[in-house]
Parts: sequence; C-alpha cells; structure tokens
Amino acid sequence: MTGSTRRAPFRANQAGLSHYALIFAIIAISIVAAFPLVWMVLSSFKTPAESMQVPPVWIPKTPSLEAYSEVSGVINAGRSFTNSAIIATTTTLGILITSLMAGYAFAKYRFRGRNLVFALLISTMFLPPIVTLIPLYRMVNSMGLNASLVGVIVPNLANAFGIFLMRQFIAGVPDDLIDAARVDGASELRIVFSVVAPAVVPAIAALALFAFVFHWNTYLWPLTILQGNTDDYPIVLSLGRLLSYNRGAMNTGLVMAGATLAVLPPLVLFVFLQRFFVDSIVSTGVKG
Amino acid sequence: MSMNAVSKQPVATMLAPAVILIGVFIFVPMLLTIWLSFHQWSSQTGFNTAEFVGLRNYEDIFGPLSVGRDFKRAFTNTAIYTALSVVIILPLSVLLGLLVYQRRVRGGTFLRTVLFATYMVPMIAVALVWSKLYSPTEGPINQILAVIGIGEQPWLSSPDTALVSIVILNVWQQVGYFTVLAIAGLTQIPPSLYEAARIDGANAIQEFFGVTLPLLRRTLLFSAVIAVINAVQVFEPVALITQGGPAGATNVLTYHIRRVGIERAQGGIGSAMAVMLMLSLIVVIIALFAFARKGNEE
Repeated sequence: MTGSTRRAPFRANQAGLSHYALIFAIIAISIVAAFPLVWMVLSSFKTPAESMQVPPVWIPKTPSLEAYSEVSGVINAGRSFTNSAIIATTTTLGILITSLMAGYAFAKYRFRGRNLVFALLISTMFLPPIVTLIPLYRMVNSMGLNASLVGVIVPNLANAFGIFLMRQFIAGVPDDLIDAARVDGASELRIVFSVVAPAVVPAIAALALFAFVFHWNTYLWPLTILQGNTDDYPIVLSLGRLLSYNRGAMNTGLVMAGATLAVLPPLVLFVFLQRFFVDSIVSTGVKG
Repeated sequence: MSMNAVSKQPVATMLAPAVILIGVFIFVPMLLTIWLSFHQWSSQTGFNTAEFVGLRNYEDIFGPLSVGRDFKRAFTNTAIYTALSVVIILPLSVLLGLLVYQRRVRGGTFLRTVLFATYMVPMIAVALVWSKLYSPTEGPINQILAVIGIGEQPWLSSPDTALVSIVILNVWQQVGYFTVLAIAGLTQIPPSLYEAARIDGANAIQEFFGVTLPLLRRTLLFSAVIAVINAVQVFEPVALITQGGPAGATNVLTYHIRRVGIERAQGGIGSAMAVMLMLSLIVVIIALFAFARKGNEE
C-alpha cells in the first residue's frame, strides 16, 4: 500500500546501469510484452489475403472489419457475450456477499474454532481445481444443473481469496463504528452491508474486479459442466470452437478478431481501474 | 467489546453461506476424490456404483502398462513445466520489479501497466494468439528470427520444443502479476538499510545481494508457492492447440486427469492421479517453506 510513497534503492551517482541502458531496457521490455496483443489487434483488421502474405504485412493497409462480421456468424458472439456477462456478474455478486459476511465474522467476532475454520477455508486457495473436478462434475450432474449456466455459477459463489481479503480490510474498521450501530438497534446483517461495507469500498472494488475478470476468463469448469451445450457457452469457450478454423494462415484474421473481442472487457476494466488491482495484490501479498 | 456486543454475534448466520458453499463444492469433492481413488467407478454413473478395489488404481498409474506410462509422462511433463516456470518467473519478476521501482528514469509505471495487462487476458486468447505467433512458416516469431539470421524453429510442432514453448507463453502471461508482488516486497525494505550499506561502501551489486534479496525472501516464497500452483493448472494451450502432443510432449496433469476421469469416464483412475497431484503439491510447498526457513537461519 505504500508503493507510491517510498522509493529508494537507486541513486544517480551510483555505479551501475546508465540512464540510457535503463531507458532502453524499459522500452525494449514494453515492446516485447505488448507485442502479442498489438499483433492480435492488428491481425484482426487484416483481410485473409493480407494474413497469408510473405513477407508478412505487419500493419494492414486497408483495415477491414470483415473478420469481425465473420466471427459473429461462426460463434454467435452476442449470445456468448451475454452468457459471459451473466456468469461473471452473478458469480461476482455472490462472492461479494459471502466474502463480506464471512470476512466480518472472522475479523470482528470471537468464537471457538475461529482460527481452525479460517485456516481450513484459506487452505482451499492452494487447491488446484483439477483435484476436485471429477466428483464435482458428478455432483453437479446429479443436482440436475449440468449443461446450464446455473451449474457453471453455483459452485463458485464463495471463495477463500475473497474471505481473506475482506477479513484483512474489515479488521481495520473501528469497533466503535460497529458498536454505535448496535446501540442504534441495527441488526448484524444490516451492519455488514450498510456500516462495514461502505468503510471498505476499495477492497470491495478490488475483489469485484478480480472476481469478474477471473470468472470472465475461466475455462476448465464451464467446458466440463456445459457438456457441449453451445447455447450457454461463454465467450472463452466459443473462442475455443474457433479451433477448427485455426488451421493455416487463412483464418488468422478470424481467430484474432474473436480473441480481441474476448480480451476487451477484462482489459478495459483493468486499464481504468488498475490502481485497485495493484493495491489489493500488494496488500494480500505482503500481509499474507 | 461489551458483553452485550458479544451476545449479539450470529456467527452461524454470517459464516453459513461461505462455509456451506466451500464445504459442499470444495471439501466434499476433495474427500470424494480420495475415496474414489480406491474404487473402480465410471464418472458417468452415480457414486453408489463405485466398487472398492483397494490400491489397484495406484498400482495401475505407476505400472508398466499404457495407463502407467501416460500418467508418469504427464507427471514428468508437469514437473518440468512447473520447475521451468518458477525458475524463469521468479528472477524475472525481481528484475522487472526493480525496473518499475527505480526512480532514475521515467516509464516504470507504464512498464508495470503493460506487464500486468497481459495477466488480465483470458488464457484461451493467449493460447490462440501464441499458436499463430509460433506458426513455423508465416508466424511472426520465426519471421523476426529470420531477420536476425536465426533459422526456422518448430516451436509447438516438435516434441523437443513444444513444452518449452508453452512455458514461454505462460511466463509472458503471468510475469506481470509476480512483478507487482516483487514491487510490493521492495516497498517494504526500509531505505535506512540501503543507506547503511552505502556507508559501508557497498556497490549496487553488493547492495542487491546483501540487502534486497535477503529482505525479499518472504515475497519470493509467496511468489514461488503461487507460481507452482498456477503452473500445475495449465490447461487451455494444451487442450486447444496441442491436445497433449506432439508424441505426448505437452500432456500435462490437468489435461490428462480430465481426459481420463471425465472424457474416458475412468473416475477411479483419474481420482488416483488427482490424489498424487495433491500429495506432490503438499510436498513441494512444505519443501519451499523449509528451504526459506533454512535460508533464514543462515
């Protein structure tokens, strides 16, 4: 959290890398890091003929939206976007509610077994999803939720990272504030959502962003539980269906147009709200 | 806190949603995975059809037949993939973190934005883009290499280079996150320690190894654990581009377990593999903590 205030390690008169070497390094690394995404966007505006050309055309001479209109025909992009939005938004809302409530209990209540329950919940943060995938697939099937958006969403409505993040931040909310609300006769649920939540808005924003981006991007679970029901496919799964078109340079434009569409929402969110992402990583990384 | 306040603690109400969801959708399936690993069971049928077979699934996945060969290959591939990812990502994240953190020239924050942006990109899009970048004949990477006189590389299409190619795209996607962690660690180092080192006449390199690196140990431990857990989850590039090939070179555990346990419906065998993955992770994480503690005592 102190990222922007304390800077120290290098001094101008110190031996080591010169200014120019530093500037060169920053520019070179930025180019290498940005190249794949820049190339993706540029390629999405190429005509099939331009994609095929050798030596390659780096910047399309006559930018064309052909690939974009074609991709919406191949994968029903509108429907996929709606599915992604439903999955990401609903899951995020669920995570916010369950994390706020549990985070509040762990931060402000004293009860037997608190540390044990907390440790058990947090341990799930280190469990790769593949370890539980096979029985989970069967369980959700048995509940009749397979091949549906509900089946994609329900198992992810609570997670350890959210509880951890909320506990960290709610611990910093003054007890007096909470006790004052109690004296006023507010119920505990009311206190969580109308006293505590407004006091930890930056943490809520960070968690919402992370959850939204994570569940917009997630692939393994929807692929497993939707069982080929392409009507309910989120955009990342529909992109996977471009695989059959992903042979040879002919379809590069098409594939890149699809990829650009899928990347856009998380990237736009990030560019505008980057501070929240970075702050929350810094706080969980260091205090964790 | 007053007694009145203590009596007003509806612990159960507050914890129920999270505890029930995590219990039902993570702990129950985790225990079921262990239980199923001792059974023969088709994942297309109910749990009640599972038939106890003792340790046979474990004997099979370590045995000489194709089930065992495939698992051992997938396990080795995952271990190599994970080790390479961690060994590349950790030093790179510290280096990039120092570049972002330094104040001598501007552009550090811009670099951080570019690096972290890639972490927001869905892995499936990363896989699609890189499958084109890696394309042997018309792919931009080989085109650029040709300009500087390096011949055509096979990348994803050769058993020798396919796994490393996926490591590279994984590093590209993830390094921004670990850079931000490294920066967080750097901000925690008190400037007074650098001043003290300078008074003792330390140069930049001595400063790095004497002050920066030792004080980043906690951050690096955390980064290593997360990098390991992320690495064993690699799935999209394999499922989408290589399907585990060529010649099994990119068959990694997440892909293999899903293929065996769900697509081939061999739920018991798949579960035994998942248990082995879980045990291996526990061992690796304990080893990382032990390694960090040993460093502390020195």
